[in-house]
Amino acid sequence: MPTYSNRRRARRSKPGALLALAFALLCLDAAAAAQIYLPPPPPKDPADYGRVVLDQYSASGPGGVVFDHWLHRSKFTCRLCHVDIGFAMKAKATEIRAEANRQGFYCGACHNGKRQFEGKTIFASCSNEPATAECFRCHSLGKTDVRRYQYAKFIAKLPRDIYGVDWMRAEESGHIHPVDVLEGISIRKKPMQLRPDFSIQAKLDWVHPITFSHERHSVWNGCELCHPEIFPAKREGTRVTMFSNLEHRHCGACHGSVAFPFNHCQGCHPLAPRWAP
Amino acid sequence: MSRKTIVAVALLLLSCTPLIAQTKKKRPLPYEYGRVVINNSSERSNMAPVVFEHWIHRRRFTCRVCHVDVGFGMRAGSTGIKAIDNERGFYCGSCHNGKLMVDGKSLFQACAPTMTAENHKRCDRCHSLGKNVQTEVDFFQFSAPLPKERFGNGIDWEKAEEMGLIKPATELEGFSGRKNSMATQKDFALNPKVEGMPDIIFSHQKHTVWNGCELCHPDIFVGVKRGNSHYSMVDISEGKSCGACHVSVAFPLTDCQRCHAKPVQP
Amino acid sequence: MFRQLAAVALVLCLCGGIPVGAVAQSNGGTQSVEPWQREFDEICGPTHDAMTFTPDELASLIARCDALLPKLQKLDDTRRKVFTNRLQMCRGLYAYVLESKKSEKK
Repeated sequence: MPTYSNRRRARRSKPGALLALAFALLCLDAAAAAQIYLPPPPPKDPADYGRVVLDQYSASGPGGVVFDHWLHRSKFTCRLCHVDIGFAMKAKATEIRAEANRQGFYCGACHNGKRQFEGKTIFASCSNEPATAECFRCHSLGKTDVRRYQYAKFIAKLPRDIYGVDWMRAEESGHIHPVDVLEGISIRKKPMQLRPDFSIQAKLDWVHPITFSHERHSVWNGCELCHPEIFPAKREGTRVTMFSNLEHRHCGACHGSVAFPFNHCQGCHPLAPRWAP
Repeated sequence: MSRKTIVAVALLLLSCTPLIAQTKKKRPLPYEYGRVVINNSSERSNMAPVVFEHWIHRRRFTCRVCHVDVGFGMRAGSTGIKAIDNERGFYCGSCHNGKLMVDGKSLFQACAPTMTAENHKRCDRCHSLGKNVQTEVDFFQFSAPLPKERFGNGIDWEKAEEMGLIKPATELEGFSGRKNSMATQKDFALNPKVEGMPDIIFSHQKHTVWNGCELCHPDIFVGVKRGNSHYSMVDISEGKSCGACHVSVAFPLTDCQRCHAKPVQP
Repeated sequence: MFRQLAAVALVLCLCGGIPVGAVAQSNGGTQSVEPWQREFDEICGPTHDAMTFTPDELASLIARCDALLPKLQKLDDTRRKVFTNRLQMCRGLYAYVLESKKSEKK
């Protein structure tokens, strides 16, 4: 027979159960959020920064592809690959197949066994013959001593900052001359007027303002790489926050994975004091 | 409801925060651009969904012939095509009727009352999603001599027509009414909201040559008084106004200078 | 008797004269024989010239569209779908052009 005290106990346990469930879910959320919002420090080996592993189709065949940005970005602008050729900005999102490469798309736009660059013929990707050692130049996941170019030797003469190569200085000092036009692929258009550099006040008062330079970004990216997909035209509705950046949206589409990481605060907040790394 | 319950429910709701990451998506390859998958009733009838390639058809016909005279909708699945409609000579069956001659051959008949061993290859030509069906026309062979442009199909369709390399028909026998010359509006400029972006030069003439009037008015462009309609790039990228075509079939929005063509006066 | 026979003969002649065009053509257009199809072609054929019509002409075309619609809705499934949609497009255009002409006057 339900007594007064029994009924009170029953009423107490209901919100108690809900609270427990909510707490458990919040813990899970915190764990998931930490994965995204706590940036891991840049890889210990700068050679690994900007590495993209593509193995959704090749894992069972010749093995996963390892694409290192440092080699290609020293020779070509971001725009050339991500706009003219059409690579997506997220690993595996382009869904490259060997057939597409053979048809002259994606990697095959350059790696076609015919295109001349720096006095050499660029090797063909995904040719029809049985797999040779050359396949492993790209399909190198888990393999050693198969890559032609070694990072340390390659970047030996390039200016460095604590996070790796300072690519902007490398271009300014004439160490690299990234190519922006690919014969047969690029179609040049009349450039559009750039907005002058502007300052963005950070949302938190104590954070120094951001100086954003369209000019510095468009030299390598053009306009279409960012607009309208990464930065939509409606400025009022676009909330760029460190959270969105860490989710690889907005600035985080490049910064944190290929362009300089978020640990380098002065890269965007030039007046911020230098922290010890 | 006790205070504890309220707090618990509030925390539960708070814990359901979605974390979405968005970056640049995969860009369709030139032969994939303009692909429409139609699946109103294919799967329900145990057929693979239909894959329609715009590039195959737009080289032969203007947009108007299909989207006005024949009556296809402007959004995938909006027409509600049934096999019986095709068999009766409407929609796809307007041309794919086993009789219309193209390049010296008769176009295959679309749909049949039942799928048999003889006709299933014919069915697969359109009901091809997930199957490795080669189109009879090879995209690379077709596009090789055509003038190139950025993005989309990689073809400058307008220039291709000017050069006489493609001759899209403006009429379909039995469907198009009599056509006289058109009185078209003049080209005009639209001022962008973002300072520094070049003005958009909109050419009615270029659009009506292929679309006629009723394809756009009033369904896609409702406002009659110029200046009253507000077009935003966000709306356009969602498929409204210009985006009805310039997202998935006509040249895409990434090619800014195609519309933003007028230099800004200093 | 003779009068009745003559009346029947007359009726038969008249029936023979009326085109037996009730068979729906599988194509949708101009070589039509059905009255509604003829009307449709006349109304929606000249949409290309919509900008040149006077407001009165446009209003009359719109009225004809409205009068034709109930007839189209009595057709079989396929043709009803196809032709009501096309009629809606051409009526919409005429209404649009009429409204734009009216707003220009203001």
